[in-house]
Amino acid sequence: MISYIGLRLIRAVVTLLITITLVFIFIRFSGDPAAALAPPDAPQEVIDQYREALGLDKPLWSQYTAYLGQLLQGDFGYSVHTGLPSVQVFLARLPSTLFLGGTALAVALAAGLPLGAIAALNRGKPIDRLVMGFSVFAFALPNFLFGLVIILIGALVFQTYIGSNPDSFLDVVFPALTLGLASMGAFARFARSSLLETINAPFMVAAEARGIGRTRRLLRHAVPNASIPLVTLIGLSLGGLIAGSIVTEQVFGWPGVGQLLVRSVATRDIATVQFIVLAVAVTMILANLIVDLLYLVIDPRIRSK
Amino acid sequence: MIHAKILNITFALAMAVPAAVFAQDRPEITIAVDNLWETMDPVIGISTSGARVHYNVFDTLIARNRWEDPDGATLVPQLATKWERKTPMIWEFTLREGVKFHDGHVMDAEDVAFSMSEERLWGDKPLAPRGKRYAANIIRVEATGPLTVEVELDIADPTFPNRLATPLGFVLPEHYYTEVGTDAFGQMPMGTGPYKVVSFDPSTELTAVAFDDYWNGPVPAESLNFRIVPEFSTRFAGLVSGEFDIIVSIPADQVEQVDNAEGVSVMSKGIENYPMFAFNMLDDDETIPNNPLTDPNLRKAMVSAIDRDAIVQALWGDSTFVPTPFNFPEYGDYFDPDRKRAYPFDPERAKELLAASDYDGEELEWHITRGFYPNYEIAAEFMIEQWRDVGINVKMTIVDNFSLAYERPFHMLNMSMSSDFSGDPWRPLWLDWGPNSSRVTAKHKTYVPTDKFLELGDKFVKAQDFESRKAAYLELVAEWEDITPGMYLWRNVVSYGVRDGLDWDPGNSAVTIFDNRFLKVQ
Repeated sequence: MISYIGLRLIRAVVTLLITITLVFIFIRFSGDPAAALAPPDAPQEVIDQYREALGLDKPLWSQYTAYLGQLLQGDFGYSVHTGLPSVQVFLARLPSTLFLGGTALAVALAAGLPLGAIAALNRGKPIDRLVMGFSVFAFALPNFLFGLVIILIGALVFQTYIGSNPDSFLDVVFPALTLGLASMGAFARFARSSLLETINAPFMVAAEARGIGRTRRLLRHAVPNASIPLVTLIGLSLGGLIAGSIVTEQVFGWPGVGQLLVRSVATRDIATVQFIVLAVAVTMILANLIVDLLYLVIDPRIRSK
Repeated sequence: MIHAKILNITFALAMAVPAAVFAQDRPEITIAVDNLWETMDPVIGISTSGARVHYNVFDTLIARNRWEDPDGATLVPQLATKWERKTPMIWEFTLREGVKFHDGHVMDAEDVAFSMSEERLWGDKPLAPRGKRYAANIIRVEATGPLTVEVELDIADPTFPNRLATPLGFVLPEHYYTEVGTDAFGQMPMGTGPYKVVSFDPSTELTAVAFDDYWNGPVPAESLNFRIVPEFSTRFAGLVSGEFDIIVSIPADQVEQVDNAEGVSVMSKGIENYPMFAFNMLDDDETIPNNPLTDPNLRKAMVSAIDRDAIVQALWGDSTFVPTPFNFPEYGDYFDPDRKRAYPFDPERAKELLAASDYDGEELEWHITRGFYPNYEIAAEFMIEQWRDVGINVKMTIVDNFSLAYERPFHMLNMSMSSDFSGDPWRPLWLDWGPNSSRVTAKHKTYVPTDKFLELGDKFVKAQDFESRKAAYLELVAEWEDITPGMYLWRNVVSYGVRDGLDWDPGNSAVTIFDNRFLKVQ
């Protein structure tokens, strides 16, 4: 078990290092950050002044080692535009993104899991087909399209502006629905197939033969076994909370981390982009790590290995 | 005694009523913007998205009168009440008395001297490096009295006051700026303008409230809220539903849709910016051996092959036009509506010029920055077909930002040129194509001016009176057209969606100002 955990910790650190390095390289090769600060027709002298101020005049390798050194000291750099620490810029946006992402995930789970269970328990019946049809539709519908349609219907039919106030619970409903729709479909499909697989497993037949009631069979035997693949999916969704809502935030004008990331990439705000990606990577890695550890709790076979 | 007290209270109430009623009547205006610049320092944040806010928070020393003439060809006093050229190189500005910053501090000459100082704009390591271009040729700025400032230049520039209507002329409070520092100032700016910033989050919104001690009369709106809504459809929905009063950046192909919506209308304005492309005509560009564009016949053939008027009509209708080089309506008496282009659309002439060149059909690569200029990519598609018709093979490469566009090799490079700055063609003609321009000096340089161009440019810069300056300008333009280092496409257009009942007109400008000259409240 110790080697199981240790291996995953090493994997997490290596993944993080690779992510940091790739972001560092890509943001510098996808356009000169100094040129983004200067107007398009700025003389070279002005661009060079910005390069010097940002430390971009130094060799790439020395910039990289300096960056790693700063990271180890907990210095994540400052936004080139605002002069504020990138952590502060990120944290200011985080609550609204978590509010949106959390609500979307809650909606997706609250609707997706029961729908999947209903479909599994009514396999082959019209309600199963209806639920599966809905889940394919929900999964396939691009969320920007769904969001725009909702916004335009709100404005043109009901003369109501939808979305973009993170302080209002009412305003989060439609962005959360937009964001959560695809996950809802995915959860429903996963829950259905997972539950079906478990229901038809030999141990379930054995349980029935032992005279255990249907409800107890479902709750004590089927659901824990069916939850293993769902935990993976939920873990990935948790990991994607920070960066998963970029499109929805853009469409609804939701002032979250996704919008900040798009802006920061467009304006080559190096420190902010690097920190957001770092935060996303850490969240994703942590979520995976937690999922791996949860397997130990819910799956005795892994524990015994 | 009691009667006197009641009388006093009644009088006080009576006096207070008009102000209160006025305050209540003032609209709270929400402007949905696609973006806000990250800092509101009016020089570091020079940009369209910044300028929409700057001119409401800060005042310049001099202003261009756009409320009576949309092109703003005349200068009017603003924070400076008068200006005088004491010697050919020294200008004296007299400041308006009693102007207050938003914290109540009274503006004086020291604030003006600081705002234009070497430390801030034009020294070796200035606080706002982007100011260098605007402050070019300034060698001394000095407060010579409580309300007088002297500016000394290293050239005799008769157009200098025009520059004080640009971001160079914004006056910042020295006491506050030096106390909080450059970055913090950009996050919570303070000026003398009609609106006082109360909150600013660069990724969300900026809110400013009426500054009732404003020196130039009543402030017409209770507050301005610039809210970032990146997606056009969402801005449109907000306008139609009444959430927003104004939206900016309507895509050219959506103008009709917005205009047809109930309760709103579209206002399209030609602005002082001209998209174009430059030919890379360098013969020493190592990335393009045997560059065919060193041949002026090929460049002239390419210009002659394009029917710009038809393209502009197809893309923009009547909302803009194809300019004759450097002949822009905002230049007042310099503008000649009858002047013709040296190389108009003429496919036969294009073929003759092409035959006279050494061009053998090789592919010419055109670097274009994605989405930076509305309709540019569509126009490029038309143009590539027209070049193909005469036998010229052009390929466009669309990239995400300017620094990628600047990466060689390229034969043609997209760009645009602003025409503001000096009130005459000095900026687009000489600063943008002269020996110190980015086209000549930057890593993405595209040409080397001819000796004749330099000679005529020197004559133009030294000309002091209008007649000799205009004559020199025409000679310089003729030489520019003879060189043909690039081609103008059209005058840029910005479109606003405005809710019915809002009496606001910004003039021909991308700058949105909401003082009582531009916004009328019934």
